[in-house]
This record gives sequence, structure tokens and C-alpha cells, in this order.
Amino acid sequence: MSTLIIVDQPPYGTWAGREALDMVFSLAAFDQPAALLFTGAGVNWLRKQQAPDAIGQKSVEKNLSAAPMFGVEEILADTASCERFGLGPEQLVSGVTLAENLQDVMNAHSNVAFAG
Amino acid sequence: MTPLSYTLVITGAPWSSQAPQSALAFARELLVAGHRIDRVFLYGEGVLLASALATPPSDEVNWPKQWAGFLADNAIPATVCIASALRRGIIDDTEQARYELPGNNLLEPFGIAGLGEWVEGNVKSDRVIYFHGSN
Amino acid sequence: MTSTQPANPTLHILNKPPGHPRFETCLQAIQDCDQLVLTENAVLALADRSVTLPAACKAMKADVDARALNEQTRTGTIDYAELVRLTAKHSRIISW
Repeated sequence: MSTLIIVDQPPYGTWAGREALDMVFSLAAFDQPAALLFTGAGVNWLRKQQAPDAIGQKSVEKNLSAAPMFGVEEILADTASCERFGLGPEQLVSGVTLAENLQDVMNAHSNVAFAG
Repeated sequence: MTPLSYTLVITGAPWSSQAPQSALAFARELLVAGHRIDRVFLYGEGVLLASALATPPSDEVNWPKQWAGFLADNAIPATVCIASALRRGIIDDTEQARYELPGNNLLEPFGIAGLGEWVEGNVKSDRVIYFHGSN
Repeated sequence: MTSTQPANPTLHILNKPPGHPRFETCLQAIQDCDQLVLTENAVLALADRSVTLPAACKAMKADVDARALNEQTRTGTIDYAELVRLTAKHSRIISW
């Protein structure tokens, strides 16, 4: 049984993306297979060198790069969404795998959920 | 029909979404159909459903009270995610003391706990159903 | 690329209105064997002529009635008892 948590909301405007990260880290902490999929405007969480200090928020870049150490199996990004937002492989934070087909990604997991 | 066990996760807040109403209508029918609700878990904006201070006009439904009555009548465990709750000012007496806050407002029978209880629902319940906001 | 897993019939519960990014993603993710249920704001799809709905689609009657969409007959309607039956029948459920 594995769980895919999907992030489709853009960064900083809401807390849903952070709360999705908390969900996936919790699953991993309890040894439950878990993966994250960023799609739509959600892929903007994956852009390198975010500097949200001036808006009073913390970057999630470090949390994301720590995800494999905490047992998160995979961080996936929808290829078409990355192209739409001009995110080439060199702009993406490390450890992200591009996914071509959302249906295949979702079918590979027994549970699929959003944080909000 | 085999009775199943359900965990319900509500992430949409009352008065900014329909999630608490839809979840309550669904929960009532679950019990009518003979299923069991292992737990109701409030996450993200959904924690606002556990405010004892929500005071809509008297001719409007008070969703926190409706939910609290349903949970108490049917002895269903209900948990508010601690990280979501503290951020949004949903506080029980323990957290009030810990952070030296001027008051607390967690509506009974909700309790505050971590995401571990959601993980447990994922593992143990036959079904986990989410009720999100729709904006 | 071929599918990595056999398709498992999925119940999709969608509450976003047409035009919402998640509404579009949900419709794209639905496979032939899946069931869609429109709830809350998503029932506006019944009136939206730009939306093509899958064959296996139902709308929540309470939400349809609330929005005065009962003249729209593009899908059948169901009550909460039927939604409960659908969730019991499908082991795989995605709330969009």
C-alpha cells in the first residue's frame, strides 16, 4: 500500500503545499510508502533559489531536498506543467523525477490524496 | 453488504467551504448503512470546525455544534491536527498552559493530536474519504 | 508508454467548479472503468456547455437542487445513501 500526495496549488499563496509536505513526511516517519507529485501551478514549489524572506515565509527547498533521507520514496513533477511554467531540469531543485503520464503515476499508488 | 470502517478527513473550513456540511451528511448516511467511522480528522483549514467560539446568527446552522453533537451521540473519535490547529488559533487547555495563552477554544469532543492519527486511519480503515474546500 | 499497473476502478469525487485547475485535471485522470460523482460547486458542470462529462457520472441531488439545476439532465442524480454505496463498492477513491 502506497500513498501519493498531490500538490497542485502554487507556493506561498496558501499553506496547502506545506501541509501536503507534512503529510508525506508523517507517512514516511511511520514507515508507510509515500510519494509526492507536483502538478499544475504546484510545480513552482520546485524552482531553485526561492527567497521568501521578504514575505515572511520559509523556503521549502531544504525540506524537499531532505525528503529522501526521511524515507519519502519519490518526488515527481508533471512534465507538461514544468514546461508550461518554464521549468527546465536545470531550474528544478535536486532529486525531482519528471513524470510524463499522470494516470500512470496515480495508478502506481493505492491511495491518492490532496492536502486541501 | 459487509460493514466497512471509514476515516473522514475534513480540510475545508465552515463558512469558507461546504466541506463540513457535505461530510456531516455523508457521515450520517454511513451510520444508517451500518458502517463504522473510526475517526474524523480535521486538517488544514478544516480545524476551524473545532472552534467552540464560532457564533453564526441564530437563524443559521452552527456547523461546529452540529458536528460536536453528532460525534458525541455516536461516540466517534475526532482529532484536530496539532500543527494546523495551533497556527490557526484552535487551542485546548494543555496547549494554553504550554504556550501561556489567554484562553482556549477547542470544542468537545474534539481532541488535539498529530498527523500520526491520520496515518493510522490510512493503515487501518477500509476507506479514507476527504472533504476539501471547493474554491 | 504503456500503463505500469492494471487499471483499478476508481471513484472520483469532484467538488471544484468548471474552470478550476483541479476540475480539468480530474476529468483528464478519469479512465473508462471509473465512476465520477459531482458534488458542491462541481454540479455547475451540468449547466456548463463547454464541459464534456464521462458516461459514468452522477451529481449529488442536494447540490443540484440547491443551485436550481434540476432541469439539467445531462447526468443522473444520487443522494448521500447512494454515495455511501459507491464508496463501499470502490476500494480506490480520490477526492479532488
